[in-house]
Amino acid sequence: MVQLTEIWGYERDDGKVGVRNHVVIIPVDDLSNAAAVAVSQVVRGTVAVPHPYGRLQFGRDLDLYFDTLIGLGKNPNVAAAIVIGIEPKWTQRVADEIASSKPTEAFWIEKSGDLRTVEKASRKAKEFVQYASELTRKKHDISELTLSIKCGESDTTSGLAANPALGIVVDRLIDEGATVLFGETSELTGAEDLVSSRFLDDDNRKKFLKIFNEYSNIIKSEGVDLLGSQPTEGNIAGGLSTIEEKALGNVQKLGTKPIVEALDYLDRPTKKGLIFLNTSSAAAEALTLFNAKGSILHFFTTGQGNVVGHPTMPVIKISGNTKTVQEMSEHIDVDVSGLLHREITLEKAADTIYDAMIKTLNGRLTAAEVLGHVEFSPVKLYVSA
Amino acid sequence: MSARPYVGMIRVSALAHKLGDSVAVAVEDLKKGDTVTVAYLDSSSETTLILKSDVPLGHKIALKDIKTGEDVIEYGHVIGYASAEISAGEHVHVHNLKSKRWSN
Repeated sequence: MVQLTEIWGYERDDGKVGVRNHVVIIPVDDLSNAAAVAVSQVVRGTVAVPHPYGRLQFGRDLDLYFDTLIGLGKNPNVAAAIVIGIEPKWTQRVADEIASSKPTEAFWIEKSGDLRTVEKASRKAKEFVQYASELTRKKHDISELTLSIKCGESDTTSGLAANPALGIVVDRLIDEGATVLFGETSELTGAEDLVSSRFLDDDNRKKFLKIFNEYSNIIKSEGVDLLGSQPTEGNIAGGLSTIEEKALGNVQKLGTKPIVEALDYLDRPTKKGLIFLNTSSAAAEALTLFNAKGSILHFFTTGQGNVVGHPTMPVIKISGNTKTVQEMSEHIDVDVSGLLHREITLEKAADTIYDAMIKTLNGRLTAAEVLGHVEFSPVKLYVSA
Repeated sequence: MSARPYVGMIRVSALAHKLGDSVAVAVEDLKKGDTVTVAYLDSSSETTLILKSDVPLGHKIALKDIKTGEDVIEYGHVIGYASAEISAGEHVHVHNLKSKRWSN
């Protein structure tokens, strides 16, 4: 099949290309959720991103927190951003960083109260929505894009069907010059050698192994049986028995291309190609991080049927489980269950995923977008002060 | 449904990733006593065995006898060890297969 590599996207002030055109309302802290949600209820065409964090965080945890909020705002799927915090300093810090990429305005609640803040922010949000509505999609090449991959509520069908098919799509994207992020650090346990052997250079390989070992040590230091947590109860119901088995299925979606970079939480991609990012394996946490590092579309393979979405990033659900694609059909964007009974080839399944990707990049809404899945879960590294 | 799920005239009910794997995955709900044809994804090989337990879609079937403590192989790699004696045709899951990495 002849592959389309031209897509229609929105170019932002920093030159990055997005495929959605959201006006986001970002609370800097948990206290500002009420005002942010209120603005999103007053002004149609905005999306508020409430979350439970942002007070008394410190050190690396605070750095990651800021990086996540700033990354959400700077992501090219966002046309304009309203930032609301309890006090001016941290609010302005987040807003100033986002402002290099798009129209951004900061509001704080102290000395105004919620109601006056909501009014001021709503007036600006209304302007931003009208501004965003004037922007038009223009032709861009897939090589300008950053995408991400992760599976969830996996089962053995993920390793047999959805993941290997996605791996072929990932290979095609890398050949076309795009950047693809993967992570799920703990879910590489048992397949970490397969991953580490694919790094292009030793420095990044060593960095990956250091990140992987640190993550493993955190998990092992709890000294508990992880059965039920990792693999999850859903994984076990679907037939996955051990973390090694889950990992070997997981890495089927990584395709065959070299891995060009290993990123820890606070790093940003500096290269194009297949890139490892240290992430939790929990769906919303991982997607929140991928998006903060610039991903504009996420491929999510699932066996038992994970329903996760993101406030600004389309998430394409792919399943090869013949039961899930029927029982949870409203959540599945691409059905590759024909692979289980060998009714279709892997190449054909990959074509179907690629086709869904092009349509989604050009504006077709995913199941998660239509069903209102806007999960946003910043990762917290340790307790607040 | 096309004819592809069949090898010859026999329906393929389980898939194995690699020759040498000690387990295969059921691609439909299977019952104790069923005669199951297993196809390998990395070759045109197939094998047949009789199920000694019910095996739901997505769950694993032992392709050979596995001794307690022996490695269990899928994708050509170790996915854990047998925590109990397993015989060919048995359901393989958390009751008789344990992680070698995170076990306690």
